[in-house]
Amino acid sequence: MTRRHTAKALAFAFVTVLALVWLVPIIMMLVVSFMPPDQRAPRFGGMLISGVSLKNYVTVFEDAEIVQHFINSMAVTIPSVFLVVVISSLAAFALARLKFFARDIWFYLLIMTLMLPIPTLVVPIFQINKALGLNDNYLGLILPYTALGVPFAIVILRSFFAGFLKEIEEAAVLDGCTPFGIYWRVMMPVSWPAIAVVIIWQFMTSWNEFILALVTMNTNQVKPLTLVPLVYSGQFMMRPGPMFAILTLITLPVILVYYLMQRFMVSGLTSGAVRG
Amino acid sequence: MSRKWLIDNQGLFFMAPAMILFVVFVLYPIFYIFGASLYDWDGINEAAYVGLGNYIEMFTDDRAFSVAIRNSIYWTFLTIFPQMFLGFTLASILTSGIPFQNIFRIIFFMPAIISPVVLGIIWQRIYAPFGGLLADIGFETGARFLVQPYLSDPKIAIFSTIFVNVWQWTGFSMLMYVAGLQGLPEEVLSAAEVDGASVRQRVQYIIWPMLRHVHLTLILLGVIGTLQTFALVYMLTKGGPNHATEMLPTYIFLKAFPLQSMGYASAVAVVLLVIALSASIFQVRVLGSRFTIGG
Repeated sequence: MTRRHTAKALAFAFVTVLALVWLVPIIMMLVVSFMPPDQRAPRFGGMLISGVSLKNYVTVFEDAEIVQHFINSMAVTIPSVFLVVVISSLAAFALARLKFFARDIWFYLLIMTLMLPIPTLVVPIFQINKALGLNDNYLGLILPYTALGVPFAIVILRSFFAGFLKEIEEAAVLDGCTPFGIYWRVMMPVSWPAIAVVIIWQFMTSWNEFILALVTMNTNQVKPLTLVPLVYSGQFMMRPGPMFAILTLITLPVILVYYLMQRFMVSGLTSGAVRG
Repeated sequence: MSRKWLIDNQGLFFMAPAMILFVVFVLYPIFYIFGASLYDWDGINEAAYVGLGNYIEMFTDDRAFSVAIRNSIYWTFLTIFPQMFLGFTLASILTSGIPFQNIFRIIFFMPAIISPVVLGIIWQRIYAPFGGLLADIGFETGARFLVQPYLSDPKIAIFSTIFVNVWQWTGFSMLMYVAGLQGLPEEVLSAAEVDGASVRQRVQYIIWPMLRHVHLTLILLGVIGTLQTFALVYMLTKGGPNHATEMLPTYIFLKAFPLQSMGYASAVAVVLLVIALSASIFQVRVLGSRFTIGG
């Protein structure tokens, strides 16, 4: 028994040390954001600060249009999350419960999108948006984010819908339910665990997406938060304090969403993943 | 189309929105890059047909392209395997009932949810040669090997970049292994223990082989992740110095936008697409893995 205790103590020491090292960059983000503005050249990457000040956050809200960028991120992310839930749940229902022409071919084509590196699509999506006049427009990001998010959501929802008992569906048909009624009244109301996974996944990928935002949004006024470090990198080049306050502000919503939804995330995502 | 056919195929109506988006934003762009790759085109003026000229130049006379291919190979091996090894080790410890294991799991997973744009700026200050975290620790403690031109030396810049990526994604591997370990049948493990198998034997002969589906999923996701890498490299080095950290996505962006060479960028995109699709077909056919997220 003592040998086992020693092994456990060693393992605990190992993960503690590693976890501290792991946290350094995140702690650094917070520490530098509280750096007093009058501090001279930061040392240790800014980890040694001469005091704690909220001045940088004030500077950010005064000199940078952080609220506008936050609204832009929301204006892109929320519609894409909503569209992905609607469009992928309809498709996943059909793929799981209905028979129709070329069903398996459509499924494999959609799955193929998961293997597709997004950068391969940057040039054509830029040209499509240009042709439709959607550059510098929220729709220019909402539509591609939705299109690229739908396949993964379909994979998750399809396996969830496929798990329902045939009898429930047959009973609903006998009661005069149409396929849409089965989808809307029978399946959707009890599918919240799977829908939650889709919501959090789509929220995080849209919120953090970078390359399409970079080529689509050229006017500062419409840029989402993910581009903000680039927008202000010139202005705050010599002032790490305000820059790191911006980084902290960008990161907080993601950590908040993750913290609120992590129960669904871990169980929903990984239970599917390990079923093999 | 008869009325009956439509009623028998109602599923198509449910599929229609997803199909339309797929055709417009995935299928059409794929055909588009194949077509555009045959032209010399700045994206604005008339395009000039050059046949396979872009591809010939790419494979015979383009150092940046070959560096990007080499870097993708480094990136694939130096992220996937360290992440799997470290992720598995952490998962084993963090399912063994040590104190605070949930808090540890959250700490290790945290970098995975933060934007690479944010992480890139933080790591620049860690790597900075003057006043950077590592360099100053090196100066103060006398551990001079810590003082390195991490991002400005073409020989080591790609490894510094890969290191940040490993740091970011190890927690994800850990989480997948945690779920895998929790799914292992209790009876098999206790039977092995009763039969006197040592911890090492249990890990080597029972636990590791039984997690095969997790390994394969992580390899598949790792390959896709490597081929998509853009934001982290763009923020840390922009693919420099002198293309030393170029990856295929950063090269596509560089050619298409700053250099206004949309045709050439499309040709690079075609190569990236072909690599991505053949890698996934190889994995599905040869390794027998499939994309198992969500079952």
